[in-house]
Amino acid sequence: METLKGHPLYPFFWPDSVAVIGASSKPGKVGYAIMSNLILGAEGQLGGGFRGHVYPVNPSGEDIFRQRTYKKVGDIIGKVDLAIVAIPAAGVEQVLDECAGKGIRAAVLITSGFSESGEQGRERERRIVEKARARGMRLLGPNCIGVINTSNRLNTTFAKKAPPRGPISFVSQSGAICTSVIEYSAGEYMGFANFVSIGNKSDLEDSDIIEYYAKDPSTKCISIYMEAAKDGRRFYETLKKKVVPVKPVVVLKAGRTAAGARAASSHTGALAGSDTAYSAAIHESGAIRAVTMLELFDFSRALAYQPPVMGDGIAIVSNAGGPAVIAADVAHDIGLPLSTLSKDTLEAIGSVCPPTWSRGNPVDIIGDSDLDRYQRVLEILVAAPEVHGVITIVGPQAVMPLEDVAHMIVDVSRTTQKPFTASFVGVVGQPSEDYLDQHGIPEMEVPERPVRAMKALHHRGLYLRRRKFA
Amino acid sequence: MKAEEILTAAKAEGRRVLDVHESRQVLLELGVPMNRSALAADRLSAVKAASEIGFPVVMKIVSPDVVHKTEVGGVKVGLRDAAGTGAAFDAMMASVGEKRPDARVRGVVVEEMVRGTELIVGSSCDPQFGRMLMFGMGGVFVEVYKDVSFRLVPISTFDAREMIEEIRGKAIFEGARGHPRADKESLAKVLVDISTGVARHPDIEELDINPLMVTEKGLVAVDARVILGTLGRTCPL
Repeated sequence: METLKGHPLYPFFWPDSVAVIGASSKPGKVGYAIMSNLILGAEGQLGGGFRGHVYPVNPSGEDIFRQRTYKKVGDIIGKVDLAIVAIPAAGVEQVLDECAGKGIRAAVLITSGFSESGEQGRERERRIVEKARARGMRLLGPNCIGVINTSNRLNTTFAKKAPPRGPISFVSQSGAICTSVIEYSAGEYMGFANFVSIGNKSDLEDSDIIEYYAKDPSTKCISIYMEAAKDGRRFYETLKKKVVPVKPVVVLKAGRTAAGARAASSHTGALAGSDTAYSAAIHESGAIRAVTMLELFDFSRALAYQPPVMGDGIAIVSNAGGPAVIAADVAHDIGLPLSTLSKDTLEAIGSVCPPTWSRGNPVDIIGDSDLDRYQRVLEILVAAPEVHGVITIVGPQAVMPLEDVAHMIVDVSRTTQKPFTASFVGVVGQPSEDYLDQHGIPEMEVPERPVRAMKALHHRGLYLRRRKFA
Repeated sequence: MKAEEILTAAKAEGRRVLDVHESRQVLLELGVPMNRSALAADRLSAVKAASEIGFPVVMKIVSPDVVHKTEVGGVKVGLRDAAGTGAAFDAMMASVGEKRPDARVRGVVVEEMVRGTELIVGSSCDPQFGRMLMFGMGGVFVEVYKDVSFRLVPISTFDAREMIEEIRGKAIFEGARGHPRADKESLAKVLVDISTGVARHPDIEELDINPLMVTEKGLVAVDARVILGTLGRTCPL
């Protein structure tokens, strides 16, 4: 990570030491949950707590989690890189002064009661930003849950769980979306490099965070939840020029409708531009827009774990007729081009299938297919020059154990640079599903989702091909 | 007059809306093909202009104070001969004089009458993202079906082609059922030229070409409207 040292956001992700202002020894308090996540590690956090120093700050001075507690930031002996502020709003301005006096250049403001809560809060927020600017500090928040870096186990949040480690970096305007994504990701083996909740964006905004992610070597895919950009044009220019050229980006911009926009506005106090403009901006930058949370998950997972589709043609292979038909319909609806299989490919598949097979794409290899037939067909499709990605659909039946199919699909996928997505239709919480997830093949229980995930990979491939020939 | 001079003059007069003739001049300079037209201050020159352009023609009032020309009797279509053109001029002056006695009238424009498929191109300003470009099916389609696509300015040729392909009713300007077929590359060029043009003139807050006609002979803009930003305010790019 040496390359990012010196970046203004570096102390937010890679502090050697943090001060928790408002640390508490009382379970149920935010200042307790943050300390617990830093010292013990959140639920599901492998390896325990944060790798750096943690200095609790509380006027009581009583030990918290057996750590020596300081009455004031200024009492801490030694350098502090990041302040985590979780005290009532009225005291934040003074604490920032003390932090600046201590030489701290970065602060996460967990505290709420600022621009999201009326005129007095707006004024308070204006003052803290002014203070931070004057004293050379950068602020994350307020009204946020802060940062998780799964590499050094920095976790400034009071979320119950930690996400698994992996290649996705996420930035969210909503803290609740963050915690929900964490809950979901644990069950799906969807791994994250970094998490940032930016709250009111008083200082740092989406554009700053994604610019950092673009340079972060552990990030392979950037996911964004936003209700309104602080500066729409800057967001667009940052995406288009600095981020999308190096990494795929998925944006869930909520508040598409009048009803949603009203909710978003009262939620964060932000001015939402017209949704048409957001759509145009996201599309034109080369990023992908997700409309639902499920799409945000599915697209991010596919883009983080699978290579892009580098041609125009996908094969759908299935031992189940109905789900393959649904997949083909959805592919058509969303404009995912299916391969027209060549004579050679058709003949090769015909030689390993009974004559009742579909003789086209989707490749329906019939419900009595055993593991060997499925594998041979998959190998033929992967080798076919007209096929640039494969959606594997499996209907559970008695002749083919699901776990064996999962292993076979992973094995075949490793022989190629062509992307795979999968649906084991109707199967939830089985070892086969976990095995695919753990090996980076996005698997979902309904056939339309891997089709949409493949479309995200196709979108990224088109973008890369266009740039190459531009 | 050059576009920049027209914009500067309008600003100096404290006007936000350019009249038909000024808007046409601006669009011509941006590279948009326009139908043939001439400005006429009186009855005689209106008739002369119509004969030169060739019948049938359309006549429109030219006034910086009239935004909705039809409502004051400021538009006459399908004028077939010199006599009809002269009569239309008299009627228009009388009607506008009665309905908007306050309006400053510079005369009329006489325009070549164009038949074809109506498309629409517009540029507007979003408070968050700045200048945007819109393209789509014109006429009733834009109001009822909202069959339009949007991009942020400036756009590339690739973006322009995508905008065209996104139109659900594109089969119509692709020549379905005997409709004139649009040359998509020319269409993309018009979109790129407008994008480049509005980016170059930050004073333009809104620009509308409605309709841009697809004819057997090519693309022709028939009506145009340019609105400037309020004093001192320019659209962020």
